[in-house]
Amino acid sequence: MRGKLAALGVVAQMAFRNLFASRLKTIIVGGIIFFGGLLVVAGNSLLDSLVASMSRSVIGSVAGHIQVYNAASKDPLEVMGRMMMGDPDLAQLDDFAKVRASLLKVPNVKSVVPMGISGALVTSGNTIDLALEKLRNAVKARANAKTDAERASADAKVTSEKGHVRQIVSVLQNDLKNAKTVLDARAIDQDDAAAVARAASDAFWRDFDKEPLESLEFLENRIASQAADADLLFLNYVGTDFKAFEKAFDRMKIVEGTMVPPGKRGFLFSKQVYEEQLKLKAARRLDKIREGLESQGETIAATPDLTRMVRENVSQVREILLQLDNAKTADFRAKLQRELGSKEADVGKLLAAFFQTDDNNFRQRYDFFYQELAPSLELYRVRVGDVLTIKAFTRSGYVQSVNVPVYGTFQFQGLEKSTLAGALNLMDLVSFRELYGFMSGEKLAEIQELRKASGAHDVSRENAEAELFGSKSAGDDAALAGRRIQATTTPGVAPVMRDLGESLTGKLQREEAKSRVFPSDEVERGVVLNAAVILKDPTKLRETMAAIEAQGKQDGLALKAIDWKTAAGLIGQFIDVARQVLYVAILIIFLIALVIINNALVMATLERVREIGTLRAIGAQRRFILAMLVIEAIVVGFVFGGLGAGTGALLVSVIGKIGIPAKSDVWFFFFSGPRLHPFIGTSNVIAAFIIVLLVSAFSSFYPAWLAMRVTPRQAMQEDE
Amino acid sequence: MKAIVSVKDAVKNYTLGNVVVPALRGVSLDVIEGDFIAIAGPSGSGKTTLLNLIGCVDVPTSGTVEVAGNDTRTLSERQLTSLRLHTIGFIFQSFNLVSVLTLFQNVELPLLLQGKLSGPERVKRVTGLLDRVGLREHAGHRPSELSGGQRQRVAIARALVTKPGLVLADEPTANLDSVTGQNILDVMKELNRTEGTTFIFSTHDQRVMSNANAIVRLADGKFLDRIAPSALVGSGGQGGHELGKGTRA
Repeated sequence: MRGKLAALGVVAQMAFRNLFASRLKTIIVGGIIFFGGLLVVAGNSLLDSLVASMSRSVIGSVAGHIQVYNAASKDPLEVMGRMMMGDPDLAQLDDFAKVRASLLKVPNVKSVVPMGISGALVTSGNTIDLALEKLRNAVKARANAKTDAERASADAKVTSEKGHVRQIVSVLQNDLKNAKTVLDARAIDQDDAAAVARAASDAFWRDFDKEPLESLEFLENRIASQAADADLLFLNYVGTDFKAFEKAFDRMKIVEGTMVPPGKRGFLFSKQVYEEQLKLKAARRLDKIREGLESQGETIAATPDLTRMVRENVSQVREILLQLDNAKTADFRAKLQRELGSKEADVGKLLAAFFQTDDNNFRQRYDFFYQELAPSLELYRVRVGDVLTIKAFTRSGYVQSVNVPVYGTFQFQGLEKSTLAGALNLMDLVSFRELYGFMSGEKLAEIQELRKASGAHDVSRENAEAELFGSKSAGDDAALAGRRIQATTTPGVAPVMRDLGESLTGKLQREEAKSRVFPSDEVERGVVLNAAVILKDPTKLRETMAAIEAQGKQDGLALKAIDWKTAAGLIGQFIDVARQVLYVAILIIFLIALVIINNALVMATLERVREIGTLRAIGAQRRFILAMLVIEAIVVGFVFGGLGAGTGALLVSVIGKIGIPAKSDVWFFFFSGPRLHPFIGTSNVIAAFIIVLLVSAFSSFYPAWLAMRVTPRQAMQEDE
Repeated sequence: MKAIVSVKDAVKNYTLGNVVVPALRGVSLDVIEGDFIAIAGPSGSGKTTLLNLIGCVDVPTSGTVEVAGNDTRTLSERQLTSLRLHTIGFIFQSFNLVSVLTLFQNVELPLLLQGKLSGPERVKRVTGLLDRVGLREHAGHRPSELSGGQRQRVAIARALVTKPGLVLADEPTANLDSVTGQNILDVMKELNRTEGTTFIFSTHDQRVMSNANAIVRLADGKFLDRIAPSALVGSGGQGGHELGKGTRA
């Protein structure tokens, strides 16, 4: 036994000395193994940290730990990162109260949040529509004025609004003038040009007060369509129970406005969406340039993105011009002339010059914009307190419209800059259900009634529904055939219902939207699409998913439970893809390592044929030779793999202290905040070590096999 | 006296591709314990093949080779290895020391493989032998620090450390100058006389073979004759310096 041990000692010694004797080979082989070990530890730790932080983002913003939906759904549920406006085809959960009761029977379930995710196209309001609406109201007020004081005030109002409209018309006239210089005369609609010319003429405005309603009609029909500046917005929203949502996702914070009171219709904009889509574009661009300059250390001169935004601000001043009435125009002219030291009288040119910012004057201009100009502008197309009219295609294809008051904006703490976390707005469940096309029993009966009354005939199903009940504000729909999806946002004033004016039902709806309180029973017992589940112990994810499905079956509900990663859709897959890429990289590294180590050992074996033959001749069994070579490989793996894993761990802990800064908004989401602080998983270090040892052992198989075939006869062979 | 090696009609063919190359064409030979035998013959006469058969490095294609009473054809690879370890010592033309080990470790290696002796016993045995070959002072050196003659003496010590009944030496002096070669022969003869170890060595150098008790001459893979050294013609002469020079040319 002692002899055996001593023999092992000499084998090891020979192995070590062989390694030392061929230092270069050892260092090359070891270097690769070192790198492999480092990559396994650092890469996996980084990814694990990323998964952990990303899961915080996903779980904390909308998904919860588990999402539950109807197992009969045709498409899988995706709560985040949906790119298209098409909704997945989900079967509904008929009674949320029942679903919640069932889910709460599972011991690990802490809370359940009802949800329905969908989206709608919304047009933000036209400035000219608003201006014309104000003018019409002022004209009406003047007509209805009873006292002299009232008349005088209404008159002043009419004059001011007229000024604004004239300002808009002059902007249009300028546009036309510019168009003539670049476009062929034939490309310009002569009727439109004539209409603008007429609206710009002093005669038109002199006569305005004689026939104000006709004049208004002319402006609305011939001019408004030319001054359209509205954007199509696509809003994604989650219909949910605000109270439950706020409680389950405690990173949610109201930024402006207030929480929607229980039982009321209401809409909360995500701060992201509010800033990105509803803010005045010039202001938004200024914000972004400042962000780039101050947070990212970029310069306008060197960063193409910032240069582009400056250029866009210079060329797109029309958006601001349209908002200016006479008084504001004069005010802007004076302020800008002073600020720029210019004598230019054209406000458009002054604004263009003002927005021509560079790295030196940006901060100054930014402050001037917000202090001097912004207070006179509508910075957001929708304001807190406005009623938003959202129209959406329901599941059966007709158009449904709902009025929802905007209560405020919200964001998730730590995810303020993430567009992903901020992509979803919140809406009350009742409005969501109406937009999605779930019908209450009451409504179904009403439809039957209407059908009978109208002597319903068979048209194709979609058309029939659209014609008869498509919209609550019927008629409006027919007028807009072809572009049915529309929301009229109404900063400050009631929306314009063209053709028919505002119908009585429209007014009632608006009132209802603001004041009606739905009993919690109606909110609770209704239809939802999915539910977010928050767990007491998030580590028991799989078990709880199984338990939920089992409990659902027991309660007669076909529930499907998916984890947050699956629910996050593309984003969840991102992490899997990243891991696959890492694994492929590791695989390639170790394949290369395998080949190189194998090659080096084969060379070493061939160089040592005589020595091995001698050992065999003097009585060494094959296993002695095998042990010698395998020990060599494993020692290299052990030492260098260990060093690599150790260095990787050290690297991760150093990076963990400093943190990796999030470069763009996407990374804010993945990092769940401004910095990722990676941590080392012990399992990663152990895994790295085992992989490295296996690879080195594996790569010595072939050379060892070669070595074992060396016969003692080869010891006798002479070189010459 | 007992025969430690008994070769009967040994035939050994090697296959090179599709060609069968006969290396031994039927050789018989008995070696008794304590012999000091030279196997002589020109290159290609089968000296090394015969030594390989005797050394249990190879087994005959036909005929039998018995070493210390074991018919090598009946033994497995492992058993042959074991037989080599315990009964036979090897001395190679190119010394074949393990370059990464010290002299001491080189000599100790067969004892470690055997695993029979304790540490102190091994030290005693190894230092004793190094002393006998006059290299005790160099025990901690590596082979690369030694001259050819010194290395061969280490190889002799390694061959003898297990006290084998039989030591085989394949052209032990071929890589050495004549003075050093004679010196090596003297060491071997010394050990043969004092330890009673049987030596079989191959050579084509007449002066070397003249040290042997008997010379077995081979030609073209066949046994030619077994003669006494005194029977060598023209011993020491230039013309007969290498036996069978003519046949090689």
